[in-house]
Amino acid sequence: MFLKIIKNDFYRKKIITGTVFVFITMAVLLGASATNIVANLIQSMTELQERAVPADITQMHSGKYNQGEIDKFTEEQRENIEMQETMVLLTLDGSNIHFGKNQTMAGTVQDISFVVQNKKFDFILDLDNEKLDIKEGEVAVPIYFMEQYDLKIGDTITVKSGGDEKAFVISDYARDFEMNSSLTSSKRFVINQNDYDEMLEMQAGELEYLIEFKLNENGDSQAVQTAYIEAGLPANGPTVGGSIFLLFNAMSDAAVVMVIIFISILLIIIASLCIRLTFLATIDEDLREIGVMKAIGISKKDVKNVYLNKYRVMSVAAGIIGYLLSFVLVYLFNGNMRLYLSSDLSGNLKYLLSLIAPLFVYFMIVMYSKKILKRIDKISAVEALRSDIMERGKNRKYSFRLLTNKFFSTNIYMGLRDVWKRFKLYRLLFFIFVVCTFIVILPLNMYNTMNSPEFSTYMGIGKSDIRIDLRRTDTITEDFNKLQEELKNDSDIEKYAAYITSSYQVKNAEGSWDYMNIETGDFSVFPLNYLEGRAPKVEGEISLSYANASKDGLNKKVGDEVVVKVAGTAKTLKVSGIYQDITNGGKTAKANTSLSINEEAVLWYIVSMDVAQGVDIREKMDYYQNTYESAQINDIKEYTQQTLGNIIDQMTTIVIAGIAIAILIAVLITALFLKMLLSKDMSQIAIMRSVGLTSKNVKHQYMAGTLLVLTLGIIFGVLASNYLGEFLVSMAMSTMGAAKIELVNIAWQTWLLCPLALIVVVGYTISVCCKVTEEDDLSVVFKS
Amino acid sequence: MTNIIEAISMNKKVELGKDNELHILKDVNLEIEEGEFVSVMGPSGSGKSTLLYNVSGMDRITSGSVKFKGREIGGLKEEELAKIRLKNMGFIFQDINLLKNLSLIDNVMFPALVSKDKDKKAGHQKAKKLLEMTGIEKLADHNITQASGGQLQRVGICRALINDPDIIFGDEPTGALDSKSTEEIMSILAEINKKGTTVMIVTHDVKVAAKTERILYMVDGNIVAQKKMRKYDAQHEDIKEREESIMKWLVENGF
Ligand SMILES: Nc1ncnc2c1ncn2[C@@H]1O[C@H](COP(=O)(O)OP(=O)(O)O)[C@@H](O)[C@H]1O
Ligand SMILES: [Mg+2]
Repeated sequence: MFLKIIKNDFYRKKIITGTVFVFITMAVLLGASATNIVANLIQSMTELQERAVPADITQMHSGKYNQGEIDKFTEEQRENIEMQETMVLLTLDGSNIHFGKNQTMAGTVQDISFVVQNKKFDFILDLDNEKLDIKEGEVAVPIYFMEQYDLKIGDTITVKSGGDEKAFVISDYARDFEMNSSLTSSKRFVINQNDYDEMLEMQAGELEYLIEFKLNENGDSQAVQTAYIEAGLPANGPTVGGSIFLLFNAMSDAAVVMVIIFISILLIIIASLCIRLTFLATIDEDLREIGVMKAIGISKKDVKNVYLNKYRVMSVAAGIIGYLLSFVLVYLFNGNMRLYLSSDLSGNLKYLLSLIAPLFVYFMIVMYSKKILKRIDKISAVEALRSDIMERGKNRKYSFRLLTNKFFSTNIYMGLRDVWKRFKLYRLLFFIFVVCTFIVILPLNMYNTMNSPEFSTYMGIGKSDIRIDLRRTDTITEDFNKLQEELKNDSDIEKYAAYITSSYQVKNAEGSWDYMNIETGDFSVFPLNYLEGRAPKVEGEISLSYANASKDGLNKKVGDEVVVKVAGTAKTLKVSGIYQDITNGGKTAKANTSLSINEEAVLWYIVSMDVAQGVDIREKMDYYQNTYESAQINDIKEYTQQTLGNIIDQMTTIVIAGIAIAILIAVLITALFLKMLLSKDMSQIAIMRSVGLTSKNVKHQYMAGTLLVLTLGIIFGVLASNYLGEFLVSMAMSTMGAAKIELVNIAWQTWLLCPLALIVVVGYTISVCCKVTEEDDLSVVFKS
Repeated sequence: MTNIIEAISMNKKVELGKDNELHILKDVNLEIEEGEFVSVMGPSGSGKSTLLYNVSGMDRITSGSVKFKGREIGGLKEEELAKIRLKNMGFIFQDINLLKNLSLIDNVMFPALVSKDKDKKAGHQKAKKLLEMTGIEKLADHNITQASGGQLQRVGICRALINDPDIIFGDEPTGALDSKSTEEIMSILAEINKKGTTVMIVTHDVKVAAKTERILYMVDGNIVAQKKMRKYDAQHEDIKEREESIMKWLVENGF
């Protein structure tokens, strides 16, 4: 009898058993891959950190500076500081760096600097994680640029400055723990000391300093920073803590991991629902056997074990296959990691860590099966021989009478009301359609959001046509004034506004002084959406970025006061609003022009502008680019795209993968579901045909029902991705400084294109799978 | 009198596997006149149900010819057969076979709606009348789990009658009912027959057969004997006598 059930089960349910197996395997596969990636990430980050020895505190500074004072400070702070080193950056404008056939790096939003390898710590590594040692005439280019400009080892790049020029052969790629990420706004090229000295003589570029500290194991970072500022040491640039590099490095891989884990959990849920469906659909057929077994005194436990063992075997097999396959899959996912973090990912941790996935899946499946099998307890021996498990315990009031139907043909109506009557059964399908819509629309919305001009909102910039960045050059102030003058007289420009960002000291929550970048200007020209409050309008107002206002930052609310040191005197400013910003580590601030500028601590100038109607934006951008060679001129979209870098590429992959997975799941489950439903309803179908319905009539009933479920699923899916999705994305992004992402939702895509695609694909599946067999004799079902 | 059903050397075989065929109906000839009340008897497995389902076009015969109202139905398309079932035939079963998710009255009116979607009201009215006629109008809005076997079989009959069929087929319609319900169902069928509808039922029960006017006796896929009687008239005839004569006839034929 046991054998008979198991055998029956396999023969009768070849397809569903196969599908459940595939889903469990895929869940394990993705789960194991995700943990595998996490393991790789941990291991390679640790290794990279060990080799690169990043600084714990980095103080940027440009202008006058005295190493002697810093050495003295280091000695005083010996209890905290282990090592100190100052890296001198030779910053160049992208337009001065030539490569390939007449190409330059002018288009980049990154700050480019040439450096010599450090002696003590903060090493820049090659792709084997060895310390770079560059020979004369050679250069190591950052991975970011290698990808961006497709630079090859052996290529030549030439630095031109005034009449001088100097050529370098690319000998290595530079893996730079501190500045790998596209989110860090500068990139370091490594050259030989002799070449460096030569470049200094050429007077190419500006000098900037990275005053770096490596702390003792228990060194107090906060204490050092405070002491540093109190000592009045050079500090007109931002201070960066070590943890931010860690975050930036892990960010894009962590995003991939999150998506994979999410999909894996969905697959586990789908597999569980399939098991439930199989059980519900076939238990009626098995009831007789179960009843007989119970009647002849076989214990409930043994009966349940018959079913349970099947899923145990299935989960173990799926676990092994999924686990093994995950190592293949991971290779596809971690290309980014191999490039940026470590070429050698052969650690052992992953073998152990990714065992978690199959074990977890096994327990989930077995537990869920046990829960479903509890129903067997409720079947008494007699009852089991009689009734239909789906119908039990249901004595609801009769609804949806045929007479009340005013709009549909009776057959269509029968299909629609069936969904209501047996929603428990259709629930699986509904859930699948919601999920499928969700995993298509959410990534699509995210992709659209990142590609929309509105994304500037999350980067703390109001929307404008063109943005001009002036970075530090000798002529920066002149250029800035000249540019403003020119804009004033350019009738093609509808409006413009200039912003100056400089570094100020600000009193932090503990009462000591920190450095903070404050942007000043007129923020009413290109308004920004504020989370709370509004832009600073009058003297004495300041607005803070979300990360700056949060508990980890200054811990301020709208209306609170902030003390800022301007030109030596403390000024109290009132917080007028809080906005979102993911640039510069998320911590920025804005104040009205009336806050005087810290002249020697100016970091950069920005000019935003809108062109007048009918003016070609490209042409304008080209004009200003030619006139102000050192400036970076971007439209807002370009700017966000370059800053987000490979995150957008990964989003594209995820959108495509999402669509593929969604369609695969939708088609598979729909086909499976209909097959199960039709075989479950065999006798009801025969009854309908016996009273004179054609098999086409019956088919239309089921098509109407499933299409209704599809429509509902799509509606709920779109709503879920719009609301729940927005919530999830905001949660994930709040660590970066954007707490309230409003997803851009292109109506024709979300409400027309995606639903239509799903309806066409699923509709086709339905029409193909909804086969009511008409060849057999009808009476077969009735004769017993 | 015209024949509503005319079957000539009808054969039915089913495949049981490779080289394994079951010959269920063997060259059966059968004529049923319009307005007749016919019953089929015979041992279990003799092919009674198969006969019923094959002359009604529910199943397809293997060879021979079956005419319904003079029209050959052997080669008809599924859709045309369905249309005939919808408009001209009614079926009642031992297992009743109602649709689970419909109330009793909706089960009855369902074929009417499928047949004439435009006129739902008329279908509803008709269904109500039929339920009244069979005495279960109070149960109209109940679920099928809330009625007894006899009541459900009356619903089955109402459904069979809803589109004014020419003939009603019944495969042991009283097989699962107690004797009281059986009697009630039979008098309903007799009533219907009196109004002109042909009735053909399969039964094991001599009491049931006694209320029909012709009995076909099947053995092993053949109709081996027939007994033609007058239409039963309760006022002028003793049912016991009729039953006894049928018993005798059955025994003569090897029952
Ligand atoms: N579709 C079928 N497949 C296999 N055997 C069948 C099929 N239909 C009927 N039979 C067999 O044919 C014989 C006659 O069946 P049936 O007409 O149901 O008999 P009755 O109704 O007289 O009891 C039985 O032995 C039955 O098992
Ligand atoms: Mg039978």
